[in-house]
Amino acid sequence: MTIKRIAHKGTITAGALLCMSAFATSASAADCSIKVGAVLPTSVDWGRPIAEVAQYAVDLANEAGGVSGCDVDLILRDSQVDPKVGVDGAKALVDLDGVQLLLGAVSSGVSMPILTSVAVPSGVMMMSCCSSSTGFTALAQEGKSKGLFFRTFATSGVQAAVGAMVARDKGYNSVAILYKNDDWGQDISKLIAADLESLGITVTTSVALNDAQPSYRAEVTQALKGKPEALYLALYPTEGSAAVREWISLGGTQNMILANSLKSDEFRDNVGLQYLGNATGTDTASPRSESASAFVDLYKAKFGSEPNGPGLSNSFDATLIALLAMHAAGKDASGSEIAAQVANVTDPNGTAVSADAAGFAKATEILSGGGTVMYQGATGNVRFDSFGDVSAPAVTWTFTEAGTKEASYITLEEVDEFMASVN
Amino acid sequence: MIQSLADGILVGAILSLGAIGLTMVMHILRFANFSHAELLSIGAYSALVFDALFSGILPILANKIGPFSMTWALTLSMFCAMGVTGLSAMLIDRFVFKRIREKGDELSMVFASFGVAMIIRNVLGLIFGLKSQLYSNDIVFAVMISSDPMLLIKPDQVFVLLAALLIMLVLHFVLSRTTFGYALRAVAENPSLAEVSGIRLSRVIALVWIIGGCLAAAAGVFYGLNNHINPVIGRDLVLPIFAATIVGGIGSVYGAVLGGFIVGIAANMALLVLPSGYSPAVPFMIILALLLVRPHGLFGEPQT
Amino acid sequence: MMGLISYLVFFITIASILAIAVLGLNLQWGNTGLFNGGVVAFFGAGAYGTLLLGGDPQSDHIGGFDLFYPLALLGGAVAAGVLAWVVGRLTLHLRHDYFAIATFGVAVTFENVMRNAEGLSGGAKGLRGFTRPLEAFVNNGFTYNVLFLLVVTSLLVCTYLFLERLIRSPYGRLLRAIREDEIAACSLGKKPDRIRLTAFITGSCIVGLAGGLYATFYAFVSPQDVLPTLTFQLWAMLIVGGAGNNRGAIFGTFLIWGAWSASGWGLSRFAPVEVQLYTGTMQFILIGLVIVGMLLWRPQGLFPERLVVSQSGCKSK
Repeated sequence: MTIKRIAHKGTITAGALLCMSAFATSASAADCSIKVGAVLPTSVDWGRPIAEVAQYAVDLANEAGGVSGCDVDLILRDSQVDPKVGVDGAKALVDLDGVQLLLGAVSSGVSMPILTSVAVPSGVMMMSCCSSSTGFTALAQEGKSKGLFFRTFATSGVQAAVGAMVARDKGYNSVAILYKNDDWGQDISKLIAADLESLGITVTTSVALNDAQPSYRAEVTQALKGKPEALYLALYPTEGSAAVREWISLGGTQNMILANSLKSDEFRDNVGLQYLGNATGTDTASPRSESASAFVDLYKAKFGSEPNGPGLSNSFDATLIALLAMHAAGKDASGSEIAAQVANVTDPNGTAVSADAAGFAKATEILSGGGTVMYQGATGNVRFDSFGDVSAPAVTWTFTEAGTKEASYITLEEVDEFMASVN
Repeated sequence: MIQSLADGILVGAILSLGAIGLTMVMHILRFANFSHAELLSIGAYSALVFDALFSGILPILANKIGPFSMTWALTLSMFCAMGVTGLSAMLIDRFVFKRIREKGDELSMVFASFGVAMIIRNVLGLIFGLKSQLYSNDIVFAVMISSDPMLLIKPDQVFVLLAALLIMLVLHFVLSRTTFGYALRAVAENPSLAEVSGIRLSRVIALVWIIGGCLAAAAGVFYGLNNHINPVIGRDLVLPIFAATIVGGIGSVYGAVLGGFIVGIAANMALLVLPSGYSPAVPFMIILALLLVRPHGLFGEPQT
Repeated sequence: MMGLISYLVFFITIASILAIAVLGLNLQWGNTGLFNGGVVAFFGAGAYGTLLLGGDPQSDHIGGFDLFYPLALLGGAVAAGVLAWVVGRLTLHLRHDYFAIATFGVAVTFENVMRNAEGLSGGAKGLRGFTRPLEAFVNNGFTYNVLFLLVVTSLLVCTYLFLERLIRSPYGRLLRAIREDEIAACSLGKKPDRIRLTAFITGSCIVGLAGGLYATFYAFVSPQDVLPTLTFQLWAMLIVGGAGNNRGAIFGTFLIWGAWSASGWGLSRFAPVEVQLYTGTMQFILIGLVIVGMLLWRPQGLFPERLVVSQSGCKSK
């Protein structure tokens, strides 16, 4: 018990110190403040880092002079991955705190009711880092989202296509798929299965892994049966490391293709680098410019590790793009006015700005002068289509001692070409 | 097929250990304790702390025992964790369940156990963080027992099975050969009569919690050894453990052991016929099917 | 000020919907003694039923029959009732803790089927494509919410009055008789199994109605809405309010849901920035403490069951 108590005290003190330093950095900017709401699942393992990054992006923006000369005050509500709680939090943010901009949520099952019952009726803009459901595209096509919804999560099509390209380039003839049994996993597993089949690669099995299962042994045994040459993993770190540890100990192949959700230190450490030599990851990418590594460097300096984990770079971009749009729309702008400015922040013909404090300051200056910028974010040259979806170039990566390193770069054109060829 | 059977038995051993404690508490105190699985988390995490402590003091203890990923330090830690968990179980009873028992009904207890589970789980998350942790990062490769039909077994699993069986054997002797064992049965049969005969009810209840806690701690460590440790393992394991308890019949220790194996095997075998997306529903399908045939579980008796 | 009113309208709407569900649960537990551990399955059946019947036509799954809304809502409640009939026939003869776990299993299975059967329910991405009734005619979001609130509260009042009448009727007396002493009830020629089944179905229909309203308000439902958390929340509301007392059930709902929202709001408002990341976890601890504390302090709930005298002539009870 004593040890626990000490450890407990330790967290609190560290938290207090951190928060003091956070205040110290943000106190430098202006004396007015603008409220921005965020509804993120801070009480689940993969949700908390996403919220930390959003908070960090806000700190950066404040350091760079804030939005419309005001400090941004991020009010964070925990969604508990419970739609009721998330919607209630969002509604309170909109009505009680008067926010015009909502960041979040992560799960589509939470974002969707927030959008339909809070954001759209109240005319508040919503920027999600990670909701992947195709339902949002459909909703936008029906005109029901009124252009208020954006997400920085590239549609699963790119991920799946790049995964299939890796399998082709490595010359695998058969692949088994393990996927998380949620909307994202179901979606991506179908897409990659189709892509692989059309390349003539056999999909031996496609096995769904449910959340919160005590053991994935049975599922792994199932996937082992077809004796595949490679394994495709669309999982989160927790169940990903549990499943891969079983897989390897049962003698499964170490040829693995990983979705970007497994770009995580937790996964690497728990599985062990020695088993990940033949693991190739896929991810959406930054464009080839000198500022490309800005986010990675910043993140390393702040958190002491690479930004590896589901949704981290998406969350960073979502926050900064939304804040820039807010700046461009001016003080006291409404949600739809902010939403209308998103295009000016991600304008392909605009001035390129990097994803750091300097870039943010530069961008605010240009936007104040009526110009447009091209935000070059952590997930790439983010550009939204008319339905709020984003497409981006891609990279493949491998694990290293320190984190990950890029293996190859695939341009947006190559991705598009490949996707056209398999369909 | 054989692989699934073997895996099921090995997973089942862990469930059995958890279910024994649960069935005893449910029998004596007559309430469904939803916080029981949190004792596994307490056990797993306290073993993690002790393990770090022992390996730090005496690095030689960090050596592995034979082909297993179990170390001497972890073995020691497991016994310490059993103590800590048994004690916590008793304290939780003293501070929460005992008081509610005195004034409320059975359902209040069930709800209190939900609340307690929520508190334990989140306090653990606050202290240790939400990420998964491991006792040992190494992956121990499974040994191929036969290639056709395919049968792979991890040394750790065999170890866990043997250790679990040994613990159960010790428990069996305690229950069938000691005064405490008789007292326990007397209390379960008829608490008031037992008290009249000079059995101190409060002592028996405390001992039941301690035993339940010890077994849960062992199950938690074994689970951590085979899988991973995180603050939500209680949530992940509570349902299979309940299933094992009910299948065995509430109050029957041997039923709980058997129930654990049945649930483990069924969960593994089910994927041979069902798509894996449906796996969380499997334990309940077993419960439902069994209760339709035997409304009080395999070894349970109608209870008032 | 306007914001506060708008939020309160929203809050009361959700709380009233949940209160309807808790009333249904109260009929099952408070009046009949059925420990339904899978309330969420019936809530979900109502929600999915309503959206499937009343939604716009969809290409990737069945449903979208675009029915007249009240019919769709009714259909949802009936779907919950049908589910209750099947579940009740299979499990009502079980002892209460077995029954609780069995129904809990039904709820897990229900969520699981909704998550996997894409052709039926849209799978994990949920069921959307529902136009809220009359939304096209009411342009203002706030006005719409007020109208919706009126509908929901009047349904809540109707449910309350219906249940109050029911428990004062001879049927209600019968329910309590079976709850207290089944054998005595049998000796009077009553059929406990049958009566329990009707109470179970009636309660589930009410829970299903709440589910339908819930899905209508969000114009969306997904497997995440039917996780066991909701079962726990509904039960906590009933226990805190006072099982067996309909007013208590409603009060308990407002109190627990209020506490749930207020603790999140309070922590986000007053906790320092860096600690905010831990607020979710702390909120769960707080809620756990409130529940345990409540049970220690007043296990019969804030409004304990009152013994109801069914007929004025029976005063000498």
